[in-house]
Amino acid sequence: MLEAINLSKIYDSGPPALDSLNLRVESGEIFCLLGANGAGKTTTINLFLNFVKPSGGSARVKNLDVVQAPLETKKYLAYIPEQVMLYRNLTGLENLEYFSSLAGRRYKYPDLLPFFEQVGLTTNEAHKRISTYSKGMRQKVGIAIALAKKAEVLLLDEPTSGLDPKASNEFSGLLQKLSSEGVAVFMATHDLFRAKETGTRVGIMKHGRLVDTLDTEGLQHTDLERIYLEHMHD
Amino acid sequence: MLTQIVKHEWRNLNADRTLWWIILILAVAISYGVYNGTSWVAFLEGTIEVALQEEHDRLAKAQHTVANGLDPERASRSPYSARYIGRRMGLRYAYLPPGPLASLSVGQSDLYPSYFLVNTQATQRQKRHSELENPNHLLESRFDLAFVTVYLFPLLILALTYNLISSEREQGTLAMVLSQPVSLRKFVVGKVGFRALMALTLVIGFSILAFLLNGVNLFGMGTTLKLLLWISIVIVYSAFWFGLALAVNTIGRSSATNAIILTSLWLVFVVLVPSVVNLLVKTLHPVPSRVEYIVAMRDASMNARAEEAQLLSIFYEDHPELLSEDEQSHTENFDTLQWAAEMKVEESMQPVLNRFNKQLAKQQTQVNRLRFLSPAIVTQEALNEIAGTGPTRFRHFMSIVDAFHEEWRTYFVPKIFALHEMTGPDFDEIPDYTYLEDPEDRIANRILVALVGMIIPTLGVFIVGFSRIRHYPLNG
Amino acid sequence: MIKTIAHKEFLQMVRDGRFKWVAGIVFCLLLASLVVGWRHYQTLNTQHELAQTRVREQWLSQPEQNPHSGAHYGTYAFKPKTFLSSIDTGIEPYVGAAVWLEAHNQNQFQARPAEDATAVERFGQLTAAVVLQILLPLLIILVSFSAFAGEREEGTLRQLVSLGIKPSHLAAGKALGIAAALALILVPAVVIGVITLSLLTNLAEAKVDSGRMLMMGFLYVLYFSIFISVSLAVSAKARSSRLALVILLGFWIFNGLIAPRFASDLSRSLYPGPSNFEFESNIKLALQYGVDGNTTYREVERKRRTEIMSQYGVNDIKDLPVNFAGIRLQMNEDWGYEVFDKFYGDLHENFRKQNRVQQIGAAVAPLLAIRSLSMGLAGTDYYLHQDFAEKAEMHRRLEVKIINDDITFNGAEAGSKYVNGIDVWEKVPPFQYQMKPVSWVLGNHWVSLLILIMWFGLAGGPLCWTIRSIKAG
Repeated sequence: MLEAINLSKIYDSGPPALDSLNLRVESGEIFCLLGANGAGKTTTINLFLNFVKPSGGSARVKNLDVVQAPLETKKYLAYIPEQVMLYRNLTGLENLEYFSSLAGRRYKYPDLLPFFEQVGLTTNEAHKRISTYSKGMRQKVGIAIALAKKAEVLLLDEPTSGLDPKASNEFSGLLQKLSSEGVAVFMATHDLFRAKETGTRVGIMKHGRLVDTLDTEGLQHTDLERIYLEHMHD
Repeated sequence: MLTQIVKHEWRNLNADRTLWWIILILAVAISYGVYNGTSWVAFLEGTIEVALQEEHDRLAKAQHTVANGLDPERASRSPYSARYIGRRMGLRYAYLPPGPLASLSVGQSDLYPSYFLVNTQATQRQKRHSELENPNHLLESRFDLAFVTVYLFPLLILALTYNLISSEREQGTLAMVLSQPVSLRKFVVGKVGFRALMALTLVIGFSILAFLLNGVNLFGMGTTLKLLLWISIVIVYSAFWFGLALAVNTIGRSSATNAIILTSLWLVFVVLVPSVVNLLVKTLHPVPSRVEYIVAMRDASMNARAEEAQLLSIFYEDHPELLSEDEQSHTENFDTLQWAAEMKVEESMQPVLNRFNKQLAKQQTQVNRLRFLSPAIVTQEALNEIAGTGPTRFRHFMSIVDAFHEEWRTYFVPKIFALHEMTGPDFDEIPDYTYLEDPEDRIANRILVALVGMIIPTLGVFIVGFSRIRHYPLNG
Repeated sequence: MIKTIAHKEFLQMVRDGRFKWVAGIVFCLLLASLVVGWRHYQTLNTQHELAQTRVREQWLSQPEQNPHSGAHYGTYAFKPKTFLSSIDTGIEPYVGAAVWLEAHNQNQFQARPAEDATAVERFGQLTAAVVLQILLPLLIILVSFSAFAGEREEGTLRQLVSLGIKPSHLAAGKALGIAAALALILVPAVVIGVITLSLLTNLAEAKVDSGRMLMMGFLYVLYFSIFISVSLAVSAKARSSRLALVILLGFWIFNGLIAPRFASDLSRSLYPGPSNFEFESNIKLALQYGVDGNTTYREVERKRRTEIMSQYGVNDIKDLPVNFAGIRLQMNEDWGYEVFDKFYGDLHENFRKQNRVQQIGAAVAPLLAIRSLSMGLAGTDYYLHQDFAEKAEMHRRLEVKIINDDITFNGAEAGSKYVNGIDVWEKVPPFQYQMKPVSWVLGNHWVSLLILIMWFGLAGGPLCWTIRSIKAG
């Protein structure tokens, strides 16, 4: 589904932000990328979104190179940043209608309401302006967009930072549901606990390099923390 | 896809209120501008009407006296005398009727005389009747539709577009949009296109509505072509500003910085470049001052007077009532002398006048070239031309006045020399003034040059904008 | 404390690339407009002085002829240029530079430069006054819109307030910093300007009135302070720096673009003037039938004729010991004076009323106040033009009177064949215009001055008030 082959990014000066990343995320998998600030997590996501151009290698979505087919690959991608930013003066429903139509999926308003229901937002809330939404609600709309555009890959950039534990938990639940329906999920996060709980695989990134990949199955939370800290101390 | 973006933009702007403020301001400014222009045209037309009425009454009275063989009120002011008719009583107004779209732009028409009372005297003695306007008012040209178009409309465009991309980035929605299968270029085309379409519909729609409400006949002779020219000028001029805003947006600075850059550019194009061009033209090709012209004219008439024999004639020319009975017989003599003296002045003034006009023409050529430095100058000039309130139509008017003056002299001067006594039917043969419009296509040509001159920089800013868009910094 | 803040503001501004650019451009424009303005002044002034001399020569070199012919030939009065017109050309492009002083008629001014100019003239000419009145306020806005709003957004304001700095000190410091940055542009431009001018010309000869210049400088400083206060107040009050910028730019556009036009439209519609046609026909009519419209000139003339005859105790005009032609010409002039005084007086009165409306308009746009004062001090305003027109008319009346008296008293014997030459031409003094003192200027523009001072006070007041209630967060 999602594949990075020798993917590298070097900004104008300085060390590589991303150094020959090789990675595959299959459908049904939830890959959580851990790492300190500036480790290259966001760069990786930006490369998959073609927001920045790779210095080497290629980022592929469904076997398509994102640089060569930027629009085609984005049809399958959904992006949920740390803050899902929407048009404040429009309602949740209007925002969803806009983004899904940009993705090439036309819906009538009533047909969009089930998506809100699926992410746990009421019809009433869907008709309210985004300016009244909390962060957790906006993140949910982000998922709703992914659902509406029938995304096959979900790219998340620290989507739960700043959410209270309950909202965070709900959000993870949604991700797992999506994944069980065959969506490949790629999430950058700081939250070791959440990564272990939600993810099927965990990657640790440092100075632009993927230094370790672990299966979460059978992995203890304390082990993960130890391994992570060891890598950080090197 | 584009329609989706456009629809969304409409929804977003609609929810934002900015749009409604802009529409309101535009509607008020345009109606006020057209109202102002229309009342100025009504004023000019009123003046011409009153003048023509006065002319008609005066001539009718003279003809009545002559046709019925009545005695004149005073012997020195006899309508029987071809001399008195041709020099005083029978004079006709040569006037410049406002063009069909004159209410569009007051232009220079508040500085130029709109009528001349043509007589047999030499050209330099034809009096200029400029309107009596408070000079403080002239300092600011009027709040007309051209002002709204040239000055205010760009500001409204900039208000709609200064944060075209930057606000999406600042809100964070840009990343959300671009994670969809839509290119930034297409997204921007949708945004700019929607705004441009809306702004143009509003400005053209409101203006035409205001014209109709003010009783301007839009389908009269030649009006339709002019209307089309005006619309194309407005379209290209606003396209320039949209392109500029787009190009500035692609630099990738914050909304506030964009606002500063765009306001400064507005200041540069609308205020600074024109005033610098004005200064430049005046410094490079200074027109010989009218003051020098006055002095030269006095020298010339002094020389003409130097011939002793004419002095008396000039004196009595001003005061025929002081002429004693026995001197009346000499009239023929001084009319000849008078004529000769004036011709001499006219002749000796010709080189001065030519130098004057040559320098003015040079200035105009220079302006014609330099105007392309700012679309605001091009637009203002083009709108003046379309409205017929610029220098071109005035020069054309002056040439018609000169021709009429010549016709008048050709008719009266021989009669004056022959001491002709007017008869009733003679009055019907007095030359009649008619204004013939400059052939349309000449205006059209000038406007087309102006259009091309604006399309090039407009394309330039769009090309810069669209080529930079690829490098738009999406994060940060 | 204030000094420290001002110093920091100043440094921050001067190091800002944007400021460097804009300030550089403003500086160049100011210097260029000063130099070109001065050149124009010099050319025009020389021209007018030469013309005035030449016209006098022409007058004196008239041949022996009936003196009344001389009065018809007349003279011209050319409006002298003031030195400060090189800074502010005021209404000069829109009023004539010369008026013909001839027998029988009070003429309107001729040779309006704008009539001969190209269409760009209406965009205005770049003068130092334009730079000071329009450009500098924009510069002030650009450097100060984020003074408080920006610091608030970056969180530095919170920090400053937590340090225990009084908001009023902060405001004073910021204002001083902005003022210092402005001085960085203005002072060198003025100094270079003055040095260049004094190298190029003899300042004493150019009749430079340093009092006027100082006064002008002071008023411009007042005008800039208003903009600094308004900008800081808006910056302190606005929710975000973007909003502050939008509000201030709106004010700048209103002040420089909308208000002046609107004021002149308003004054025109409140006090509409006559059309030129109406004006001229009214004068023509009144010259025949009197100002009241009931007296014909011929009756008056007849009455006067009998009076004169009885005064000298004769029964026939021909027996008078004086030349009746001269008396009659003067009588005609006196009759005309009444008419001209009435119609030109009404016109002038109407213009004054219109100007008053515009001056009051300064209450919403300080530009109107500074513009009117600046023109007044530069001697390029309507009032000076009007005064010049009156003085020229008085000179015309003197000239005609001298000539008519000559005809009356010296032409008794020769009658209508009377001629005279240089004797009578020399009796007419050359025309000279005496400039008006500053107090006279301020008398005409007191409304503007008052409003400008009120703006200064009012802009300072809310500034203090907003600053006191400033929110750090």
